[in-house]
Amino acid sequence: MAAVEIDLRSISRGLVIAPAGCGKTQLIIEALARHNRSKPILVLTHTNAGVAALRGRLERAGVKPSSYRATTLDGFAIRLISTFPQRAGHDPHIVNGARPNYEAIRGSAARLVAAGHLNDVLAASFAHLFVDEYQDCSIRQHSLVTWLAQSLPAAVVGDPFQSIFGFGGDPLADWQADVVSFFPIVGELATPWRWINAGARDLGNWLLAIRPDLATGRPIDLRMAPGGVEWIQLDGRQDDTLRHAAAAVEAPGETKVLIIGDSTDPRGQRRFARQVEGAVTVEAVDLRDLTDFGGALDLARADALSVVADFAENLMSAFSADDLMRSVAAASAGKLGRALSDIEQTAVRFEASRSLAQVADLLAAINRAGGVRCYRPAVLAAAQRALQLAAGGPSFRDATVAIREQSRLIGRPLARRSVGSTLLLKGLEADISVVLNAGVLNARNLYVAMTRGSRRVLVCTPTPILNPPW
Amino acid sequence: MALVRVVEIDNFRAIKGLRWLPGPGINCLIGPGDSGKSTILDAIDLCLGARRSISFTDADFHALDFGQAVRIALTLGALDDPLKNIDTYGDFLVGFDVATGLVEPEPGAGLETALTLQLTVQDDLEPEWTLVSPRAQAAGRTRNLNWADRTRIAPARLGVTGDVHLTWRRGSVLTKLTDGNADASKELTRAAREMREAFDQKELEELKEPLKIVTAAAGDMGVPVGAAVQALIDAGSVTFTGGTISLHDEEGVPLRALGLGSSRLLIAALQRKAAEKATTFLIDELEYGLEPHRIIRLLGALGAKEELPLLQVFATSHSPIAVAELSAYQLHIVREKGGRHMATRASDAGNVQGTIRAHAHALLASSIVVCEGGSEIGLMRGLDQHFTASGETSLSACGATLVNGNGDETFSRALALQSLGYRTAILRDSDKPAPAAAEATFMAGGGRVFAWGGGRALEQELFAALPDGPVGELLELAIETKDRALIEAHVKTISGGTKALGDLETEALIDGLSPDSRALLGNAAARFGWLKTISTMETAGRAIVGPAYGNSDASLTSVMDGVLDWVEDGSR
Repeated sequence: MAAVEIDLRSISRGLVIAPAGCGKTQLIIEALARHNRSKPILVLTHTNAGVAALRGRLERAGVKPSSYRATTLDGFAIRLISTFPQRAGHDPHIVNGARPNYEAIRGSAARLVAAGHLNDVLAASFAHLFVDEYQDCSIRQHSLVTWLAQSLPAAVVGDPFQSIFGFGGDPLADWQADVVSFFPIVGELATPWRWINAGARDLGNWLLAIRPDLATGRPIDLRMAPGGVEWIQLDGRQDDTLRHAAAAVEAPGETKVLIIGDSTDPRGQRRFARQVEGAVTVEAVDLRDLTDFGGALDLARADALSVVADFAENLMSAFSADDLMRSVAAASAGKLGRALSDIEQTAVRFEASRSLAQVADLLAAINRAGGVRCYRPAVLAAAQRALQLAAGGPSFRDATVAIREQSRLIGRPLARRSVGSTLLLKGLEADISVVLNAGVLNARNLYVAMTRGSRRVLVCTPTPILNPPW
Repeated sequence: MALVRVVEIDNFRAIKGLRWLPGPGINCLIGPGDSGKSTILDAIDLCLGARRSISFTDADFHALDFGQAVRIALTLGALDDPLKNIDTYGDFLVGFDVATGLVEPEPGAGLETALTLQLTVQDDLEPEWTLVSPRAQAAGRTRNLNWADRTRIAPARLGVTGDVHLTWRRGSVLTKLTDGNADASKELTRAAREMREAFDQKELEELKEPLKIVTAAAGDMGVPVGAAVQALIDAGSVTFTGGTISLHDEEGVPLRALGLGSSRLLIAALQRKAAEKATTFLIDELEYGLEPHRIIRLLGALGAKEELPLLQVFATSHSPIAVAELSAYQLHIVREKGGRHMATRASDAGNVQGTIRAHAHALLASSIVVCEGGSEIGLMRGLDQHFTASGETSLSACGATLVNGNGDETFSRALALQSLGYRTAILRDSDKPAPAAAEATFMAGGGRVFAWGGGRALEQELFAALPDGPVGELLELAIETKDRALIEAHVKTISGGTKALGDLETEALIDGLSPDSRALLGNAAARFGWLKTISTMETAGRAIVGPAYGNSDASLTSVMDGVLDWVEDGSR
């Protein structure tokens, strides 16, 4: 990839619109690569995974680490108010509490910078400010950035078509009223590099071409799309079968498939992962099932085995917690009448001495058993790491939280066939994307879903005409 | 680049405690001998200098009390970008309020962003440099300046000799001028190689014979040396260290052989050229080795007259020339009071510039007598000369100096000097009442006022108190100075035509002057200023009052003794 049309460093206050797959990251990398002044460029994005991914790309591109400082918007906000707590005047609890209060953190940081206390410090520390994924900025994050832009030249990059976050008490900044009015549009990337590089230029061009239609509410006819787009017609009778077939699309060699379900139905996504051979889930960063497990497991309580078994059942196919409980009960009563399986033996040993090491053994034994397949390997691996960590000191509950925080910082490696929602898969890309329920997606979710595949897009929908609301 | 805004010193050498706010340009420290001026310079040098270690001794602790840690803290403002970097120093940035001199724990709008660098030495004598801020301390976070930042802001110091600075070596001004990276080592290595080659090509007659013997012996023993051994310079013996390259004049004489004053002047000028790279300059005894006009030139080179000085200079001085040449805001008077040290900016005492210019020496004294006019100064000087000749300690030796109060300004000058911390007394006439409020303030501040009794002016006092003979001599001196006809006229006027000069002269010769006649002469002398120049009164003091001192009336001697005792007390 090359041929970057715009140099972000020349933008003192402005916005570059970056449609999916058009070399947005490359734009940032090239700007940073050309930057060789003594002060670094501050690069802010939303997620730790995004920061990790960007750092990885920059490292591979040979960009000197001294020329940039990449972090998350919220991480930077925390850094500011924690460094200057008296000026920020915040309650430390919003940072140190069990769950950080990001709304309050963003608000405090914006007020701190707005008051002008740090103008010279910011100008002395950074040469320029870049903000990535600007469409995901909440109103408070946008406020912080606008105040930072008083002291630093600021170039922001984003795409309103990929704006799919925004919930809770901190609404997204309004694209027109807030963002564009403060950061005038300087340019728009227009070359679909992701598809060109995958040999599917037509698909890339079509995905760019439908943007105006999506924006203005004009219908899109999948039958008019180029060959890379396949319409899987749902008939209302065997939709699940049709979707399974689509999800099981052939993926030879290193081909990667993203299966995109309904973000409001994580159980449905898991069901798909369990049922489609080789598919695994993409997990939300909060790893709720892991921390719930950490909270529920108490080795001193009678139900400890059942908690572990339920947790395992939730991660692995062809394993029944109830069956295990029954056979262990029978075995302890001497009524089982057959030899114990590997899993049962481990469970009995666990009941006898109740240690975290045996929890780890039990989970491993279940995963090892014939026919059992773990379709949520991220959660299982995290649980095993937490069990290991807890052996060295902290309580298991604390260990699960610590492991969750560690995982936030590590990018998610993509499995061959992954199931998730647009929210979870945004920022990930594969060769093939399968949109399980295109009919219920709004325009932005649909755009994000369809742009995940660089060679083929399988769209499951009853009619070939899509007319999603914005 | 970085300005020292606040200096705090605890338990270091002569200083038990000090907090001082220096200015951005020249800061000339003055004050009596052991007041701690050099300690302040050393403290800045040690705290700010780029040294990895320093050996401290017990003697570096105030009063040898190594139980109390040495602490030197410098708050630096006017920081450049690297020093304000939020990632490097964020937890340590503080805010300096230029208006109040206070340091707030965090930077803020309207404040200057600053860093506080602290050097502490505990009784293990290990120096420790750290940045400090209340919040970092509370969180237990410590860090020092980066080495690069330390070397960048390290001060240059011009000690008594400046030899170091005229060579390229670490910390020298020449090294700073060449951006710290003059790659001299490469050049030196090349030169060393060339030297070896040049030597090797020489035919060394004297060594030919021994070489032949060595070659033959080696051949006999089968030691492999080739066809012939050679005498070459051992590569290891030609090495150069820092300071190998130095400045030389046209004739090749090293510049460090210049006179002391010249080399110091040159170094100061170079330091100014390097000001973009190093802004802090420390000078011990800035007048050292310099004639008066070169002192002035040196001060000019340091930016004494600049609106926006490039260098922040810390200097000590005992030179009245330097004091007179500098502005009041560039002079800081160092003294100890109640166990703590104070450094007071002379301009903080109000408008004292005139006093300083006229009496530069006063700021270098320990006791100051503000005299109401030239006559009092003359008398004091004359008396001093008389007493010194008879073996007594002089006023100067007591550390005292005389300042002309110019009549009505007497109290304001005395108050100004007092507020700068000087031990101050006033010697005045009492023919006019003292300004009550000013006098009360002055007395409350520990000042002493000496005045003649009975509402008399100095002339009246002298004509009243001297024995007969000396009074006659005083009259003769007046006639000599003023012209006889004038004195005659004055006598006539004052006596309302009832007395003539001749009558009084006769009276003095025969019976001695009556009190009335003495009063008449005193009035005339005071009214018409017969003795009102410093030199006339000086002569009177030396030749007339001094020799007659023992026989004079107590009304004169009790006041004078009071002044002289007060001066002498100050020297103890």
